[in-house]
Amino acid sequence: MALKKWLDRLTLLDLFDGLSVTGRHFFRKKVTIQYPEQKKIPSDRFRGMFRLDEERCIKCTLCAIECPINIIYIDWHNEKNPAGKSVKVLDRFDVDVKRCMFCQLCEEACPTVPKSIWLTTKTYEMAAYERNHALYLDIRKLTDWQAAPNVKPFTVVEQG
Amino acid sequence: MKLLTPTVLTYVKIVLLVAVVPAVVGFVIVLAERRFMGFMQDRLGPNRVGPKGALQGLADLVKLVTKEDVTPALAEKAVHFISPVLSVIPALTALAVIPFGPAVRLARHVSTPLYVTDVNIGLLFVLAITSIGVYGIILGGWSSNNKYSLLGGLRSAAQLVSYEVPMGLSLVSVLLMTRSLSLVEIVQRQERIHLWFVFPGLLAFFLYFVSGVAETNRNPFDLPEAESELVSGFNTEYSGVKFAFFFLGEYTAMIIISCVAVTVFFGGWLSPFPSVKALDFLKVIPPYLWFFGKAGFFVFCYIWFRSTFPRYRFDQLMALGWKWMLPIALANIVVVAGAILITPGSTRGLFALAWIYGGLFVAMFLLARLRRALARRDRLAAVPHGARESA
Repeated sequence: MALKKWLDRLTLLDLFDGLSVTGRHFFRKKVTIQYPEQKKIPSDRFRGMFRLDEERCIKCTLCAIECPINIIYIDWHNEKNPAGKSVKVLDRFDVDVKRCMFCQLCEEACPTVPKSIWLTTKTYEMAAYERNHALYLDIRKLTDWQAAPNVKPFTVVEQG
Repeated sequence: MKLLTPTVLTYVKIVLLVAVVPAVVGFVIVLAERRFMGFMQDRLGPNRVGPKGALQGLADLVKLVTKEDVTPALAEKAVHFISPVLSVIPALTALAVIPFGPAVRLARHVSTPLYVTDVNIGLLFVLAITSIGVYGIILGGWSSNNKYSLLGGLRSAAQLVSYEVPMGLSLVSVLLMTRSLSLVEIVQRQERIHLWFVFPGLLAFFLYFVSGVAETNRNPFDLPEAESELVSGFNTEYSGVKFAFFFLGEYTAMIIISCVAVTVFFGGWLSPFPSVKALDFLKVIPPYLWFFGKAGFFVFCYIWFRSTFPRYRFDQLMALGWKWMLPIALANIVVVAGAILITPGSTRGLFALAWIYGGLFVAMFLLARLRRALARRDRLAAVPHGARESA
């Protein structure tokens, strides 16, 4: 054992091992993604910006109930449809995204198949200069990318 | 042709080699350091300013120059002002005697060697002048009136004094072979005896380069700056141009250590094995490019060391300097002197020494391989038998 240690010291094994590690990494492929030009493709379970499908939504408000910080605001009223049947119509479906922690509990609570509210849009470019308007999504912004001008919808850009 | 008198040429060379080259090379080294360290950490490093980040140094300079020049209220004003200059000027002065190349022809009857002057005590001059640069660091740390800066200055004082000794002694063993202190003469002698001094002076070179790294306060011996311990030590209270001066001083010192290593050990401007006819095609590359290439490799080694080795503790630093490098350097002098004495008037002793050191080097390399193979066997034996496939 002592001989081994002495050998290690004499041959400066640790120093040259260290140098060879950094030397190898010098030529290795770099992990940096040049952000504005190249974009990272999030995985399929990535939680991004909200989307809502008003057609599928049954106005059960389970998502608002499940939300741990109560940032989903839903108002609705009853209306008679042409067939004379009473249906719920949304007055308001707002998500205060600036406070959202993207826990996805609302999506899990949604009883419809497929989900009416979901976060797996992969959209992550949501930087805004002003949070109270830009990051406060009403039903129009929730259903239409064009209506939410601050949010850039996810587009796949080849990663180099 | 009247214009290119020797006096004018000397002034031009002073401006070019002592002022322009360090500034330009400094930019290149700063960029290279940041990019190469990035590469070694699997990053890209700065690549936004200019093509591949080539103008990063310029951007850094503009940032430093436009910064406010702060002097602490209780600082020793005059000393605080003078110490960055003290660290730059000696470093630049030492460049004057470094021979970058032999005579080059500028016009039909005008040729000039690529060094400002050839002093017959060149090596001594470099050592003496670069030692003055230490005052810049020590006085800068003291005059800032800041305990961390003072600690940095103190460490620097102890470290630089300690490592001057093995550095000087390792060069002494080479002086036994060169028989001259003139840097030009040293290169010419290597050409004459067909032997780079690195081969008989392998140990001396190793000692020289390690103490050179310590002399320039670079990792793993960067205790005077020690960013994580002393909030960058002696230069904490410096900003703007003064800080840039310290920076330039450090990088010029790196260049000088590399240049002296090339000149003394690696044949200066000579191509590899200039006496071997088969390697004559290497002489297509001009001598000064050989010089810059070799020096560049050592600067790269500086960067490599920086991104590899963790910092020494202060007592370890002192122990390494006094208990290991000093005795080895002394023993090396005895060995080299013996090799020269047993074959008076010929270089056979040096060649024998070169073979012995080369053999030892190869033996150590093989030992290291053996040791690594043994370690690998132990590691594999420690893995349970079933898990070996996945491991």
